[in-house]
This record gives sequence, C-alpha cells and structure tokens, in this order.
Amino acid sequence: MSCETIQPLITGYLDGELSADQQTELDAHLAQCEQCRRDLEELRQLKDNLAGMSFREPGDEELDRYWQGVYNRLERGTGWVLLSIGAICLLSFGAFMLVERVVRDPDVAWIVKIGVTALIIGAVVLFVSLLRERLAVRKTDRYAKEIKR
Amino acid sequence: MSTTHPQESLLHRSRHGDADAFGALVRQHAGRAIGTASLMLGSYDDGLDASQEAFARAWRRIDSFRGTGSFYAWFAAILRNVCIDRIRRRKRRTHASLDEVHPIADHADGPAALADRSEQAERLWRAICELSPPHRDIIVLSHFQELSYRQIAELLEIPIGTVMSRLHAARKALRDKLAGGQA
Repeated sequence: MSCETIQPLITGYLDGELSADQQTELDAHLAQCEQCRRDLEELRQLKDNLAGMSFREPGDEELDRYWQGVYNRLERGTGWVLLSIGAICLLSFGAFMLVERVVRDPDVAWIVKIGVTALIIGAVVLFVSLLRERLAVRKTDRYAKEIKR
Repeated sequence: MSTTHPQESLLHRSRHGDADAFGALVRQHAGRAIGTASLMLGSYDDGLDASQEAFARAWRRIDSFRGTGSFYAWFAAILRNVCIDRIRRRKRRTHASLDEVHPIADHADGPAALADRSEQAERLWRAICELSPPHRDIIVLSHFQELSYRQIAELLEIPIGTVMSRLHAARKALRDKLAGGQA
C-alpha cells in the first residue's frame, strides 16, 4: 500500500481507533517505511502537546457571574415568548374588530374595505408561512440531536 | 470546581426543571465550553457569550437529552452549532471570505482561556486559530471536546474513515505550521 493510503491510519493508531486488520496493515507498512515512522513520532509528539493544553477553570465568582448570564438569557427567552403571545392575541383581536367595523360600515368606500381586508389576510398568510417554516426547521433541528457516548 | 453531586442526579433534577441542578452542570463544564468556543470563534469574549447561549439552549432542550450518553457530548453538538451560526452571521454581515471570518485570537484572548500559559501553549493556540475552519473544527472536537471518532462522525454526518483522514490532515497541517514558525 502507498504512503498516501496508509497515512490516515497513523492518526487512527494514535487515537486507538484502528481495527485489527488496519493495525496489521499499518504495522507492515511501518516496518519498511522510514518516512511514515517519522510522521508517527512527530504526530505522537503533537498529540502529547495538545493533551497537555488544558483550559483554565474559572473561579467561583466568575462561575457565579457566568451562570447568572445563562440564567438571564433563560429569563429573557421566557419574556419574549410571553410578549409574543400577548402581541399575537391583541393584534388578532384588533384586526378582527377593524375588519368587522369597516366591512359593515355602509359609509366606508368599497376600495377601503378591499384594502383593509387584503392587508389583514396578507398579514395572516405571512404569519402562517413563517410559523410553518419555523416548525419545519424545528423538525430537522440539529440542536436536538443527541450523539451517543 | 469539584462537585458533590453525581452527574446523573443533576441531569435527572434538571429534566424536572431544577435550575440549581442545571446551574451545577453549567459550573462543571463552563471552563471547557468557554475555551472551545473561544478557539472556534477566535475570541475569548465571543467564546464566553456563545457558550452561555449554548447552555441556555441546552436547558430549553434538556428533555431531548435521553440520558444514554454523556451530557457534555450532547452539549458539545449544541455548542458547535451555536459557534457555526455565529460564524455564518459574521460572514453574511461582512461578506468576508471563510478564512477572514476566523480571526486569529490575539494574545489577550487566547492564553486567558488556557491553564498553561507557557510559550508552547501560546504557539499551539495561535497555530490552531490559523488552521482552515474544517481542520480547526475537527481538532477542537477531537482534542478539546474529547469526542470519539464515532461521535464526531455522527455530529458531522460523515463516515468514520473520513473523520480519521480529516483529523490526520488537520494534525499534519498543525504540525507544519508549528515547524514552519508560522504560528
């Protein structure tokens, strides 16, 4: 096998992810390829260096502020949902009242009646379309995806 | 920070709406989450903000965590998607090239998130930030999110063999950057 084909197995070997067959192929290749042996050693060194690179653990005060930031986002999220529900209810009621009054009023010109009705229907269509799109996105939402350990 | 609560108990309570339990989970994983998001986004401030958003999303979706695997592996997928969303938004706003939307972390940002502030750690940090987005992504998933090949394959929706070859290419690119003194 060529070096190009066998090279990714070096990384798999360092991570303990090779099958028995792949391990045999790699061993056979390494026995007769100095360049790949050199790569193996260099990549092993790199992996060790990366393993020694850890992130700083925040202190207790920092963690308190951090969690407060997360919690604030949760609160704001709930606030936005309630605000949206309230706005939808009020706007729907207002639109219904407006259409009813305008359509029933004999003094209002027919062009105004058509304009107001079209405006309301247009708004409803746009809202339903956006809602449908959001629901479709939610069905395939990758955030909900759980990967197994 | 050490914890006195077993993770399973915290998860169980979190699923039942216990914010304090979820807060304890956040505290356990905050350091790693901030660090990896900082690497993905090239800035500590952005990493801090993105990781908080990811935890907030995780809390809202905690019911979808079936509990069959590790909480952090599940959370890592959310964190990665939050970071990718932000990178895409930057791209749309600035019309920059893909490389330009991954600014190199400056000295104030990078080492601040690292426990080891040695010169070697700084060089590594900067070299990782200079990698192409796919290479940096897979290095972060493998080394800093500590996901297995199978987990990475599921997350990226690619075969395990591609995970191995992409990670190999990423490590070689990182080695070459360090050897070439570009980092």
